[in-house]
Amino acid sequence: MVAEYSDSRLRKSGDRGVSEVEKKIIQGGLRVVSNLVFALAVNGIVWGLIVALIALGLSVIFGLLDIINIAHGDFFMVGTVLAWVIFEATGNFWLALLIVPLIGLVLGGVVERLVIHPIKNAAALSIVATFGLSIILQEGVRATFGAAPKRILPPIQGTVELFDIEYDQYRLLAAAISVVAIASFFLFLHRTKFGTWMRAVRQDRESAITMGIPAQRVFTLTFALGTALATLGGVVAAPITTVDFRTGVDILPFSFMAVIIGGLGNLPGTAAAAVLLAFLEGIITGFTDPTVARIASLCLMSAVLMVRSQGLFTGLAK
Amino acid sequence: MTSRVDRINRGLAIALGLFFVAVPWLLPLFASNFWVNVTAEILIWSLLAASVNLLFGYVGLLSFGQALFFGLGMYGVTIGVAKFGLGFWPAFGLEIGVSVLMSFVIGIFAVRLTWHYFAIITVVFSQIFYFLALTWKSVTGGDDGMSFSMPPMLSVGEFEISLTDQTYQYFFILVVVALSFYLKYRLLQSPLGKALIAVRENDARAELIGLNVYGLRLTAFVIAGFLTGTAGALFAFLGRYASASYMFYQVSGEGVVWTIIGGAGTLLGPVVGTGLLIILREELSTYWEYSLIPVGVIVILAVIFAPKGIVGLYNDLLERWFGADDESRPVSRPQPSEPARLLSRGE
Repeated sequence: MVAEYSDSRLRKSGDRGVSEVEKKIIQGGLRVVSNLVFALAVNGIVWGLIVALIALGLSVIFGLLDIINIAHGDFFMVGTVLAWVIFEATGNFWLALLIVPLIGLVLGGVVERLVIHPIKNAAALSIVATFGLSIILQEGVRATFGAAPKRILPPIQGTVELFDIEYDQYRLLAAAISVVAIASFFLFLHRTKFGTWMRAVRQDRESAITMGIPAQRVFTLTFALGTALATLGGVVAAPITTVDFRTGVDILPFSFMAVIIGGLGNLPGTAAAAVLLAFLEGIITGFTDPTVARIASLCLMSAVLMVRSQGLFTGLAK
Repeated sequence: MTSRVDRINRGLAIALGLFFVAVPWLLPLFASNFWVNVTAEILIWSLLAASVNLLFGYVGLLSFGQALFFGLGMYGVTIGVAKFGLGFWPAFGLEIGVSVLMSFVIGIFAVRLTWHYFAIITVVFSQIFYFLALTWKSVTGGDDGMSFSMPPMLSVGEFEISLTDQTYQYFFILVVVALSFYLKYRLLQSPLGKALIAVRENDARAELIGLNVYGLRLTAFVIAGFLTGTAGALFAFLGRYASASYMFYQVSGEGVVWTIIGGAGTLLGPVVGTGLLIILREELSTYWEYSLIPVGVIVILAVIFAPKGIVGLYNDLLERWFGADDESRPVSRPQPSEPARLLSRGE
């Protein structure tokens, strides 16, 4: 009797418990949370596309020259700094976008001739030599540019309606620039004579040299291209991150992870892995703090290494 | 009869040993007391480099994650003293237990992989723990670190020996590092050491003659973890604190650089490389704020002109100058080893 009564009371209060207003609030709350996760996921994809640029540079240098480039993150950092310098001097961000990759190309070529060429094909030595290079780049920037982190305002400041959220226009543009750069890199690799040479030298160095391919020029250009990709990533990322002489140190392990998860020497896999990693990290950031997200992606990474050390995207390999 | 080259080397080793013993009296004569501490630091960091060298130079595994065990060693001692109120020796024992256990657990996974993959997985594991230490502030103190007050090493009634005395501290570090190097030397002379080198030279062949390649790599990884953990504990005793920043992958990278600059696969290479680079850094920093720039240049030049490391270059020169007329030298040249192959100029 008593139980029945309380049961009916409960049911009644249950009916009334969630009013229309409350329902709206809960739904609104859910929408806020889902919008936040959505925004973070988009953030992740944008960032992943930028990292894909950097990781592609790392991967092409590694795949062709067998060089483990510890200084690669610092080339990215140099890109952000050069973007800041050009932006401060001329007030024109697009000029930086045009010039900095060219500077990166020249810088990479010079570095290949001076540092990489004398130790060619010795992976262990390349770690040490590029470590030295990394110190020189970081300290050089600290000596000239200063140790205080700086910021660049995005060249376009508006937001755009993306499904349900207001999203920074510049970030979408950054993603678009990255996609175009990645696409033109692959076009270069597959549609030009030099790109074919690069792939030929990677597949079989001896035969390529016998066929008359100037291997040394291919090496220099490859390193220069890899560096240019990293500096381009730096320019594109500069308005999103801070400009600081230490940013390269953070981006380096992340790029290496993309290279490994994508499969060593698998360029499309590298790009896919960079986007996937940053996307996952972006989503996890919605629920915990960034450090825990980083730990989670590192755990994922070690699982991939243990189970499939050839990388996740063997289907993409060519 | 020992050869001339061996006699020269033995003389140099004794001179180096005597120098390290004399440091607390010798250095203050013409430099400041500060340099005694720098020497102590060189000894500690060369132990980290020695563990990299054990893995890379003798087993052919390039570890980029030794900072993890260095940090664990620091925290083992610091948390032991500051949180559990342990004395000097129990805290030291705790550190050894922690670093051996952790290197065993991590090694189970890590040594299944080799070369590039091993290098990356060791970075990944050490970064996981670095970020854990960074977030778990209540236990680790995060980036700021946590400090502790030094418990006495030995106290009998009124009499007390504590590492707060700089000379005691220096000799304690010297003895522990020397013992560790002796341990490593004996290990490499033992059948186990020969088996490790066999794995480095050709793991497939080593497997075929019945060696347990996985077990041997794991053993080397645990010993390396033990050496690095000990170095971390000594560093914690020296600075009386521990910080997550010492678990960052760059610390491991420095160990690799010191090892290769000094000479991978040689017993004293890590000491030479570490000593040279730390002295350069400290000495140059008094003249110029950006002294790391010339250090970077020297690192690149060293690797271009001495690809086998400073000790490797020295051995080659010694062989050329004094070894030619020597009958007692073995005639057969050893085959190029895994590190030698990785260090070779190819083509």
